[in-house]
Amino acid sequence: MSALRRITVIVSYEWRRALAKKSVLALIILAVAVQTLILTLYSQFTAGTMFLTEEVKPFMWILGVLQGQGLFVQLIAIIIAGSTMSEEYEHGTADILLSKPVTRVEYLSGKFLGGFSLLAFVEALTTVVGVILASWFFGPQNSLQYVPLMFLAIVYSTLIFFCLSFMFSEVLRRSTLAMLIALAILIASSIISQLLAWLYITTSEYLYFYLSRGIPTWGSNYFPSLLIRKMMTIPNTALLNFINDPLIPIEATKRGVSEAILVREALQQAAIIVAVYAIIFILVAVYRLLKSDVTKKTA
Amino acid sequence: MNALSQSVITVSKLTKFYGDFKALDSVSFAVEKGWVYGYLGPNGAGKTTTIRTMLGLLKPDQGEVQITGINPSKDPVQALQSLGYAPELPTLQTFFTGEQLLDFMGEMFGLAAQARREKIKQLLDLVGLKEWGDKKIGKYSKGMVQRLSVALALINDPVVLIMDEPTIGMDPEATAHFRNLFTNLSKQGKTVFISSHLLDEVQRICTHVGMINKGKMVFTGPIEQVLETFTQQWVIEAELEKVTETIVSNLKKLDYVEDVKVEGNKLRIELKEKKDLRGEISSEIFKRKGVLLSLNLHKITLEDAYLRALKGGK
Repeated sequence: MSALRRITVIVSYEWRRALAKKSVLALIILAVAVQTLILTLYSQFTAGTMFLTEEVKPFMWILGVLQGQGLFVQLIAIIIAGSTMSEEYEHGTADILLSKPVTRVEYLSGKFLGGFSLLAFVEALTTVVGVILASWFFGPQNSLQYVPLMFLAIVYSTLIFFCLSFMFSEVLRRSTLAMLIALAILIASSIISQLLAWLYITTSEYLYFYLSRGIPTWGSNYFPSLLIRKMMTIPNTALLNFINDPLIPIEATKRGVSEAILVREALQQAAIIVAVYAIIFILVAVYRLLKSDVTKKTA
Repeated sequence: MNALSQSVITVSKLTKFYGDFKALDSVSFAVEKGWVYGYLGPNGAGKTTTIRTMLGLLKPDQGEVQITGINPSKDPVQALQSLGYAPELPTLQTFFTGEQLLDFMGEMFGLAAQARREKIKQLLDLVGLKEWGDKKIGKYSKGMVQRLSVALALINDPVVLIMDEPTIGMDPEATAHFRNLFTNLSKQGKTVFISSHLLDEVQRICTHVGMINKGKMVFTGPIEQVLETFTQQWVIEAELEKVTETIVSNLKKLDYVEDVKVEGNKLRIELKEKKDLRGEISSEIFKRKGVLLSLNLHKITLEDAYLRALKGGK
């Protein structure tokens, strides 16, 4: 049997394991429900205001898709990844799996790809739901050919916190602890990023600007919106403010360059930051698994 | 080809530390094809550590393990392909049914779908879980999980079967059934490695025994040899209506008698040879007008040998 086949077997196992957990299913349902609620409220309370002009209505699918990504998908990423490796140790099933003809790298690859493909499925679901809801509430939508690209960008952007939680899952081998630490980093990172952006705005000190971009949440939050801004022309409305990195217009004014140039720069930086963090976290997890004993049942 | 290279399992100078604690201290033994090898030791002796190192789950600090000539730490795919393992008190994936878990494990070994279906049916029947195959494992009793664990270990038709306390939690009927199963598997040429603290079970089914204590191998060899090695003497216990000085002194004069101890109307006759000499002893007693009520030969059991081995005595 080839290595690829062995990895595929573990991927399918990981799907079944994750979906058997009621908490994951509940979160998926909650994500869709909250997405529906937000768009419902938006359509009701912004009608006739500057936040919902006629020219922005055909682009509301962007809001529908992105708000799902920001709110729940990162949390689902943390929950899925946080238990992927650690639960096998906690339940004592790692012994059974790793005493089968599979290398540790294949095992970790299967677990990672299984969890991440499940997350991608959830993201596909929220993307489709976002587009459907936007069409339902705001009428026919424009530029829908970019939906798959947006979806891929969202998948890529969630790599950071998925890999972070996955790393803690393997390093700590305690699922609750792994999830809590990853969640704490998500929240702290979000707050620090905002703080650094504010410090840059008030002091014009570039150190804060670069630091704010080095924070994990910046890459994961803005990569999809930066990509969509680069690819599409969106009316300059409140919707743009929603998806925009707030530092871009400030920076454009300061440097006297167009926002398009800065969007391109920021997009490259976001792509690199996501990749660098994800690779570091995965390498730590691989090192831990390869170099240490398979721990016995802990729960 | 030397004896070592014919071995299906070879453990050489295996040393394993948990922090400062030396769990295994240069453990070596070899298990050949068709043996049923009983691995004995008290709690914390290092039995499970040895097994988990053999499977590549633990990384040895020194030494090496080979399963069918392949080191599982270096090439787990090849080494574990022909190995079946049933852990001690297994926790199985409760979200699967018994059939689903067997199917998944069959897939891990690369079995084709049709072969898996046939094997699953056969194994569930073999372990007495035919009626339970489509039920979630979460609903199984401990004994049923244990049975399923044995079935899982057999899914790939292994050459080597490693069982860590395989009959714990099973009822006596199932225990007897599995004893027969292991014996039959060895008759089919499979090598069975059983870690157990049930000495009676080991004595009944094992051809060879390894004993470990405080991380060190105390003995490894054929089961007859362990009994022989750790036997000081065989003893005949005789109960008489009345013990007389004549009987005792004449018994003591016999060439094959080491000593005779009197405890009320019972005689404890320690023999020089490891032979059943009850006939000779009873003749001597009758000759001296003794009335024999009972006469028992007390051979050394594996338990005696085991306890003696753990004390370091021979």
